[in-house]
Amino acid sequence: MKDRNGWKYRILSQQWLILLFIILLISVFTAIRNPRFLMINNIMNIFEQIAVLGLVAAGATILIISGNFDISVGAVIGLSSCLMAMMINAGIPIPLAACAGILVSMFCTFLNGVLSIIFKAPSFIISLATTSVYTGAALYLTKGVIRTVYGKFDAMNRFRLFGVVPLIFIISLLGCVVVGIILKYTQIGRRIFAIGSNERAAFLSGIKVTKNKLIFFAMNGFFVGLAAVLLLSRVGSALPSTGSGYELQAMGAVVIGGAPINGGKGNIIGTFFGVLLMGLISNVLNILGVNSYLQEIASGALIIISLGISAVRVHMLQKN
Amino acid sequence: MKKILEVENVSKSFSGICVLHNVSLSLNAGEVICLAGENGAGKSTLIKILSGAQPPDSGKMKIFDQVYEKLSPAQAMELGIATIYQDADLVDSLTVSDNIFLGHELLRDGAFVNKKEQEKRTAVLLKQLGINLDPAMLVERLSPGQKQNLQVAKALHGEAKILIMDEPTASLGEEETASLMELVERLKNQGIGIIYISHFLEEIFQLGDRAYVLKDGEMVKELFLKDSNQDELIQAMVGRAASNFYQKNCFASGDQALQVSHYSGNGFVEDVSFTVSRGEVFGLGGLVGAGRTELVRMIYGADRSEAGKLILDGRDITPKNPTEAVCKGVFLVSEDRKKEGMFIIRSVKENLLISKNEKNFFLSLNKENREADESIRTLGIKVFNREQEVGNLSGGNQQKVVIARWLLENGDVYIFDEPTKGVDVGAREEIYKLIEHLAEQKKIIIMVSSNMPELISMSDRIGIMREGKLVNVMEAKNATEDILIKEYIGVKENGS
Repeated sequence: MKDRNGWKYRILSQQWLILLFIILLISVFTAIRNPRFLMINNIMNIFEQIAVLGLVAAGATILIISGNFDISVGAVIGLSSCLMAMMINAGIPIPLAACAGILVSMFCTFLNGVLSIIFKAPSFIISLATTSVYTGAALYLTKGVIRTVYGKFDAMNRFRLFGVVPLIFIISLLGCVVVGIILKYTQIGRRIFAIGSNERAAFLSGIKVTKNKLIFFAMNGFFVGLAAVLLLSRVGSALPSTGSGYELQAMGAVVIGGAPINGGKGNIIGTFFGVLLMGLISNVLNILGVNSYLQEIASGALIIISLGISAVRVHMLQKN
Repeated sequence: MKKILEVENVSKSFSGICVLHNVSLSLNAGEVICLAGENGAGKSTLIKILSGAQPPDSGKMKIFDQVYEKLSPAQAMELGIATIYQDADLVDSLTVSDNIFLGHELLRDGAFVNKKEQEKRTAVLLKQLGINLDPAMLVERLSPGQKQNLQVAKALHGEAKILIMDEPTASLGEEETASLMELVERLKNQGIGIIYISHFLEEIFQLGDRAYVLKDGEMVKELFLKDSNQDELIQAMVGRAASNFYQKNCFASGDQALQVSHYSGNGFVEDVSFTVSRGEVFGLGGLVGAGRTELVRMIYGADRSEAGKLILDGRDITPKNPTEAVCKGVFLVSEDRKKEGMFIIRSVKENLLISKNEKNFFLSLNKENREADESIRTLGIKVFNREQEVGNLSGGNQQKVVIARWLLENGDVYIFDEPTKGVDVGAREEIYKLIEHLAEQKKIIIMVSSNMPELISMSDRIGIMREGKLVNVMEAKNATEDILIKEYIGVKENGS
């Protein structure tokens, strides 16, 4: 029998503590090599860089725990930010354009949910198909031309709380907090875990599985849409391919954060530290002046090492 | 008779907790010994040691006059020890003969599987064993009973001399059980030594020569089954006198409050109607596949019905789906705890409160914790704390969690589908008490059960289903196992 109240068990049962440990380790190492790493500016830079990924990963956390995937979110970000850029250029007020962008994003992810339920197909495959639909739609609308909004929409990106903390990071953090509250303190949260862990049992215990799955997809769309808003403000231009790559990074962050790929478990703190770890790795490789081609290899390797360390954690937990 | 296996003073601990303590047993060729004991008594651990899945901490095993301190799985197989687990260990997408030859396929031209020859030899093997199976059939199309038979055939193909069967009949119906028991009987006559584990005492007495009773990791008793009886065995298992027949009080009010009216559909259920009174337990008996589970799932709204109404106190409450059923106070405890009842990787707390939490958007964690602790205490659920994963509990405690979910709601109709499946004798009685307590509170209870003593002792009336139809309803006090089995199969009593 296991001693479930011992400190060792507690530490081992929390993936985020391991991630925090890895993050501190990398930070100390980097700070010794290059003290510039610890400057407020650089740290805020990391925060700014992870803001968009943080929101996408927050949405992905909901979906993955519920046993679903949406790999079209990169394409959705592209479509939604192109639309917003075109609306802003057409003179539509920015808040209105942002709302429209979020709604479009929610519609796209909702559609993924609807299709996967109607055709009883895994959402992974459905969203693979819709990825090219959404990218195509964005290409058609923009005629493949980059849409720039330089100077019109960068107020949000430039704003610093107390003159230090980037607003977009605060928004991202708030998104994570909201997901955390949903997961822990609401009925919807319990349904997310229940459906992800055993759909049939959820159905028999009186949960409307189909309706709730659609809600999860739409919730994911909200966070993805918000991420698109932040990204447009940060980059100042939009292309159909703007968001590509975010879907896999977000899923990676969720899984590094301790959620199993087949759902039913996970938490937002893990995801947040997963995102932070990814942002940190790319920043550190820059600071240390690693050759940019080798950076790609190194960042992949560091992620594998983190996964290795968590595998050791799970092993020790089972042995304990 | 020749001793083929002797276990001497085997002990095993996990993280300092002793699960087997100085256990000894012996097995002769052509003998069936039964291992009996409650869940958690150490039966599974003993099997794992014999099949090489785990090494013992101390002790010796003497197999065919060779002494071993531990075995590896490959070694055990080589020695002719084959273990058949309750969840059949077969590849569903392959055929019967493919499964038999899995791992040592017959090859043609050194590379290709010689399917014809495999099927021919499989047919011969199955015929020798008296198993009626098509060697070319896909395993996914076999019934649970046929799968068990196939596993036995596979073990014997591997020239097993010692066969360990772990609850082989747990998911089988009456007929399939009978045919498996015949097979075991034949193997015994061929000189194979069999270690048989079952929760069903009838089987133990029918098949076994001797029974070893394990309790809390110790071998407490060896019984020669010819000179023993069920009461003595139960006494040894639970350490107290507990009859297989529970003495339930009758609380039926006779008001016929619930009308189950003309249900049809779900494949083959045909025009089933009956009434149940408040405080009454209405048992549903029949062979596996008689349509009982299909019927109660329709009543609960889990499956669509072609026709049928559920009427409570003259009001139509027919639920369209489980959500509506729960709202209207109709609850179902499904027969398959793992697949349909529990959220295995979630905590006991969440499992208890998942339905109750449907009422509010924001949850009060304090209230939730209080309610979970209260349930754990009043039902005596054995857990470290409310956050423990429900998958780590014993079968009986898991079932209590699933039932407690509905006790937290205040409803009228409780449907139990095989409430004590995979639950050990001690915990079984506690579940009976829960059901009895519901009856005392004037709830309406429908209980599907394939366990006849349970059906007879827990029901007030018993409805018998055969091939989708409700063919008879009788007072439980007039029912005996004999009468029931005849009703199940449809044999008419002639005169007498």
